Amino acid sequence: MRQRSLIAITAALAAGALTLTACGSRDDDGGSDSGNGGGTTVVIGVDAPLTGDLSALGLGIKNSVDLAAKTANKDNYVDGVKFEIQALDDQGQPSVGQQNATKLVANEDVLGVVGPLNSSVGESMQKVFDTAKLVEVSPANTNPALTQGVDWQTKQVRPYKSYFRTATTDAIQGPFAAQYVFNDSKKKKVFVIDDKKTYGAGLAATFTEEFKKLGGQVVGTEHINPDTKDFNAVATKVKNSGADVVYYGGEYPQAGPLSKQIKAAGAKIPVVGGDGIYSADFIKLAGATGNGDLATSVGAPVEELPSAKEFVANYKAAGYKEAYEAYGGYSYDSGWAIIEAVKKVVEDNDGKLPDDARAKVTEAMQNVSFDGVTGKVSFDEFGDATNKQLTVYAVENGAWKSVKSGTYTG
Amino acid sequence: MTGGIGPVEPGEDTYLRNVTGRAGPGGRTAPSRTRHRRTVRAAGAALLLLAASGSLRADRAREPAEAPPPYPSQAVTLAYLDAAPGPGGARGGGFSFAVRLSVRSGPPVTVTRIAQPSAGLSVASSPAAPFQTKPHSDSKIIVTLRVTECDKAPRNPGFPFLDVTLRNTRAIQTHSFILGSRYARQLSQALQVACGNDSR
Repeated sequence: MRQRSLIAITAALAAGALTLTACGSRDDDGGSDSGNGGGTTVVIGVDAPLTGDLSALGLGIKNSVDLAAKTANKDNYVDGVKFEIQALDDQGQPSVGQQNATKLVANEDVLGVVGPLNSSVGESMQKVFDTAKLVEVSPANTNPALTQGVDWQTKQVRPYKSYFRTATTDAIQGPFAAQYVFNDSKKKKVFVIDDKKTYGAGLAATFTEEFKKLGGQVVGTEHINPDTKDFNAVATKVKNSGADVVYYGGEYPQAGPLSKQIKAAGAKIPVVGGDGIYSADFIKLAGATGNGDLATSVGAPVEELPSAKEFVANYKAAGYKEAYEAYGGYSYDSGWAIIEAVKKVVEDNDGKLPDDARAKVTEAMQNVSFDGVTGKVSFDEFGDATNKQLTVYAVENGAWKSVKSGTYTG
Repeated sequence: MTGGIGPVEPGEDTYLRNVTGRAGPGGRTAPSRTRHRRTVRAAGAALLLLAASGSLRADRAREPAEAPPPYPSQAVTLAYLDAAPGPGGARGGGFSFAVRLSVRSGPPVTVTRIAQPSAGLSVASSPAAPFQTKPHSDSKIIVTLRVTECDKAPRNPGFPFLDVTLRNTRAIQTHSFILGSRYARQLSQALQVACGNDSR
């Protein structure tokens, strides 16, 4: 009896082991062919600056969405659907972004768009997409007005139901930076500079408001022209103001030279910015005196997220020439959110895309929820990411190093 | 990976020794068709058992390397619940509130410190740190802030946060939890009562 039991147990175990082995083999072989032969092609539009000063961030966005599409095809994630991307270059210009939005709407295979990088560009595209009921998921727009309306500080009203984002907003990023600068860095006198653009001016405003509430003093403000790289006049004003810190609302192509020139003017004080300066290119442009400069960026540090590690490995294996940069994980998650919404729509319609696929995908996006590269991905009633994490990074020995992370749980 | 699979490995060697004993010299001196069949079946079973346990063992060996525990900051959420009765009260320079600490994944997490970054305020908690939480559990914590110096305390912070130091088997981290607008509002009211409504 004991022997028979042994045989039965052994056989069951062997069968189990063989089944496990078989599962492993199927997974291993699954990527060689998408198995979508003859199926439907869905295009995910991508809009980002692919040329110009901000192209490092833009190309990271494009490549990361491409990786999401390829991963879905490899895994045959949506049965009968193959994903492709159509990437357009907005050069960081709102007018070009709007033209791109019109082009993407005209391609009926486009069922969702990832982008753009700049909030000002996002502003110019929203209405075009919303009229066409084409869903847009930005991995990088942080201006609160895009999801909560221009009066977001007093009355939050969602302007467009087709607009979503995976990045945390400046309503949190600016105050988070202010808290760190005032309480942790013990800086009490700030000189605030911005580039007058939607993102930069908005971020500087949310920083300033919180810094003042904490008891900090704003000893000077300036706006710079983003088309120039000569900031010597502003740097001299900073030096003469007695500020112990500079906050800059803008992007790294200007922030790097600004930091360098402020130090050269004799003000050996840190420059602090938002996700727009969190780029390796900032460090190159700021030079050696940039050590000690700070940036906040969306999300937790990559090394703390196991899912992000897998993304980093897959990105490397895919052989993209450019780095995924600050928004790679958010771009992958934005692309994957569209893939999830398409999957839902197809499955609810007997395995086919319905005639009103764009409207249905937009509707499905509201309830998308999955474990992404950056953590849990889902959206609140405004289309904002429910996962609101931020990290402060400092330039140390020529590289960004994370120094403090926070999560908004309100 | 536990339950039915767990006991197999310890039993493996024992079963193998029993089978080997049957196929030994004593077995061969008294051959019988039934016995031979049993021996073959047992030997086959042993081979299958070896293959199965080897596969499982390999899976086990790989598992820790593939799935280390999450960083504590990624395993824990902290949510503001409401103001709570506490020692001192606002007029006594204190503000107590309840938060819910949830361990969503990974091993137990020890809260080694609860702090807040503003000068002029001190923090105490019940339970007092350090304390340990169980995996996949919710714990209610009462936090009390006391004004130590009104001049240095913030009057109207928009995004005040708690700095919580968390430790699990993966790492020790200090993470900021920004508890939202209701917390900010109630904290501001308490600070104004404690320090008066005079502006800086």
